[in-house]
Amino acid sequence: MVAASANEPAPRPVAFRGFKEDLEHAQSEVARLATRLSRQPCDLQGRVRLLYRMFHRASLSGRMTYFEEMDAELRNVLRDFGPKEDICLLKVNLDFRFHRLHEVRRDMEMAPMLASRVEGKVLLADLDMQEGRYRDAQLALESLIAKSPTWDILARLAHWKGKLGEFSEADGLYREAEDELTAKQMLSYAWLEVQRGLLAFNSGNYADAWSHYHRADSSYPGHWYTAEHMAELLAAEERFDEALVMLREVVERTDKPELCHALAEMYVCAGRQDIAETWFNRALTAYQESARRGDVHYFHHLADYYGGAMEEPAEALVWARRDIELRSNFSTQTALAWALYRNGKLAESMDFIRLALTSGVRDAAILSTAAELFEASGDMAASRQYTAAALKLNPLHRRFRMHH
Amino acid sequence: MADHNDPNAVNHIFSDIDYSPADLYDLFGWPVEDGRKVVFALTLASAPSAGVLDPDLLYRLLLTSHPRVAWPDAREFNADSVLGYFEAVKQKYLGELKTAEIRVTVKTPGSVLMRFLGFPCGEFSAEVNVNTVAPITAPDGHAIKAFVGGRDDGFFNDLTGFFRSINYAPQFYHVPHTMMEARELPIPKTLLELEGNDLFNYRDDMPEWGYTQPDGNTPKLDLPPGPWTWSGDRFKKDANGNFRFVYSGRDCRAGQNCNAIVLEIPHSLITPNTAENRLVNAWGESWVLKAAHKVESIPDDPSWLAQPWKVVREKELDGELQRYKLVDTDGQPFADAALSEREDDRQLGANNFWLGPHFIKRLAHLGWGFGPSISALGLKCSFDHDDSPVSVYKTYDHVVAAFPRVAKTLFQKLNMPDDSWNPKGLNIPLRRPFEIFVPNVCAVDMDTSGTWPFGRRLEDQVATRFLSLFLDMEAEWNGRKYHVDLLGDQALWDSAPIFPRTPPNPLKNDKVFLDNFPYLAEPWPQTW
Repeated sequence: MVAASANEPAPRPVAFRGFKEDLEHAQSEVARLATRLSRQPCDLQGRVRLLYRMFHRASLSGRMTYFEEMDAELRNVLRDFGPKEDICLLKVNLDFRFHRLHEVRRDMEMAPMLASRVEGKVLLADLDMQEGRYRDAQLALESLIAKSPTWDILARLAHWKGKLGEFSEADGLYREAEDELTAKQMLSYAWLEVQRGLLAFNSGNYADAWSHYHRADSSYPGHWYTAEHMAELLAAEERFDEALVMLREVVERTDKPELCHALAEMYVCAGRQDIAETWFNRALTAYQESARRGDVHYFHHLADYYGGAMEEPAEALVWARRDIELRSNFSTQTALAWALYRNGKLAESMDFIRLALTSGVRDAAILSTAAELFEASGDMAASRQYTAAALKLNPLHRRFRMHH
Repeated sequence: MADHNDPNAVNHIFSDIDYSPADLYDLFGWPVEDGRKVVFALTLASAPSAGVLDPDLLYRLLLTSHPRVAWPDAREFNADSVLGYFEAVKQKYLGELKTAEIRVTVKTPGSVLMRFLGFPCGEFSAEVNVNTVAPITAPDGHAIKAFVGGRDDGFFNDLTGFFRSINYAPQFYHVPHTMMEARELPIPKTLLELEGNDLFNYRDDMPEWGYTQPDGNTPKLDLPPGPWTWSGDRFKKDANGNFRFVYSGRDCRAGQNCNAIVLEIPHSLITPNTAENRLVNAWGESWVLKAAHKVESIPDDPSWLAQPWKVVREKELDGELQRYKLVDTDGQPFADAALSEREDDRQLGANNFWLGPHFIKRLAHLGWGFGPSISALGLKCSFDHDDSPVSVYKTYDHVVAAFPRVAKTLFQKLNMPDDSWNPKGLNIPLRRPFEIFVPNVCAVDMDTSGTWPFGRRLEDQVATRFLSLFLDMEAEWNGRKYHVDLLGDQALWDSAPIFPRTPPNPLKNDKVFLDNFPYLAEPWPQTW
């Protein structure tokens, strides 16, 4: 027994469980449940638990192969047990992640009551956002927050505010979301810190961005998601050697084609076009394979790919049009406007950029694109206005950035 | 557009609720050494394992000592007076009440820091090795005993029977976590099986249905699509004319461990005026460290403009507690489980005064279920169910409508089985349900044995005693007044038209309690 001052804060052993430990745990849980369920395939609760664990493993690792395994098992469980609400909810989340918005609607219809649940309402708000019904999305999120300000809903609203250029308000909402999290949710906390870092990055405040990224990394060590954003920031600071090392490692860990694409662009910025080619090709192969399988997830990346470094505007236009057929929002509208412009269809291009701007979006990259398009259309006043707005939002917006 | 940055990217474990060290199980409390000392045992989930505490958790045991309140028998109880009582409790707990506190946090993997705050002799602390009885001496010389570590879970109860009685579907069915309406299914609650109740009646082909197995799995069925209704008009009877009990008397916590914080504290350490302050009220709380405070940095403060309510609330907390989130509370057994519908936002510990009206409505809802079951067994019931021959599903929106039904249940004195609860033979009034559950504290009367509801001793079968609230305590069985242990009397069931003929819950724990501190038995040799 040791007498001590009562006001002295309790010393706490800090034991950070990070990415590595969580992934190992997820792997072993999946293996354990799969073994058990191979003997008891009719255990619905066990099968659903396995699905959620598989989703966790896939999300954590970022590996498409895990998502594919999980997708296959999800279809098996649906076949074996029918459209139970929690299975459908998981399918909605999965389909959303891969931009299969038509499927999302079908999933919601399979479990009609889901739309009346908080979880369902949140996803419908996401759908509104993706399909350009911004006001509906915002109102839905605000209404949900008024009833129950859970961290994930706060974060969604923060994301929306960030897109409107309301950085301070967005950061406040992220902060509020963080305050809802406990030490048992460090992955979520780190994710929120990355979002705050991204907000700072998007306003050109690199010092703050570093601060948040470091906090994310120390709170949940070893996560490739944080490293991906750090690499982007390093590249924006033109520290290409460090950025390339870091991003290459992330690519090796995740094998995500969009990161191969980003790595290629980073090599280009670093003046290593020779190496970039390999990574562009790797990304393109994966994008095309995905599209051949009927997946829609990489349409926007394909538009970006062909409209960017590859300078193949006709192809870019094909994919931008296919993407906007799925979801018409300021992001896809801007991509299509750019592709149309590069294909000499300026009038149609102006229609889409105007449509994007009516959303109220205040993103420096979009405003900068608008400035170029208005300049091309001869409206110099509008061009200057958007140039100034982009610079005001982010004086460094022409630096390197990734399509996350 | 950063369209991959949705929180679902990380919010992906919502289907699984892990075994949580923040889950408080029970709070036991009783006087020892002729009322000069009091023992409290706060039990909690053994996570990460029995004998190992989670370093992100903070546990509090809050104590306050004050005089016994004697309710004048002649007083007319009505809805206004009981709501007035709740208001008075509220003023007390929000107002002048000063609590002492024992705060426990992990210091090293093998020890905890135990801090004593708000005691009359001042504040002090001690480092205590886990799984070891530790003597602690207060600055004024008071001797305290402390134990923190793994133990056998002292709760013995047919949990599955209880869940069956309240139609708690997740114990028996795979219920998606989104389907909040499918927790307690909207059919009558009951102690006796209902004829044609295919949703919850015992199934010969699945004897272990709803019973958690040693491997942690619980045999369950797929939830039928609904609507979940029952349209019968009678209790089920077998060929011999016997009712079927929803309880089995089985100990669903047998062979399972908990972690426990056990303290033996001199009454005079809590209050200098032990002669007057004969009650020691206690409740436990679990807090989890906020994520922002696990990182070695100074987190942002929530702004006044963004969340003023939170700032106000947190200003009331000390610096350390502001770094944690309150997760669970525990005072009275069944205050949460039976009377709060297991809703987390109602787990408010002592500060549950605002739930007073809810308790009345909930008690009435339970009464319509349990009352007719009790009457069908030939027992007198405290709840006014209009002599309904079978359990009824009924909910209330307003206290005024519920109150007349439940008035006797709320205000009747709970008879004790004998005089052993009052060893000094003092003029101590029997307790009444309304004062037991609001505030939600374990109220130890230092002049009694501390048996429930005068505290809670380890050997008390509180689940069965809780059911006795619905017995009419003015009635007699075998020439004796009904009492809180009547439903635990095997003789009663031997003569009842029921199967199985067993008290609803086991009569004793699976392991023998110790005669000395820390009283809870050694843990089982397993990590679960």
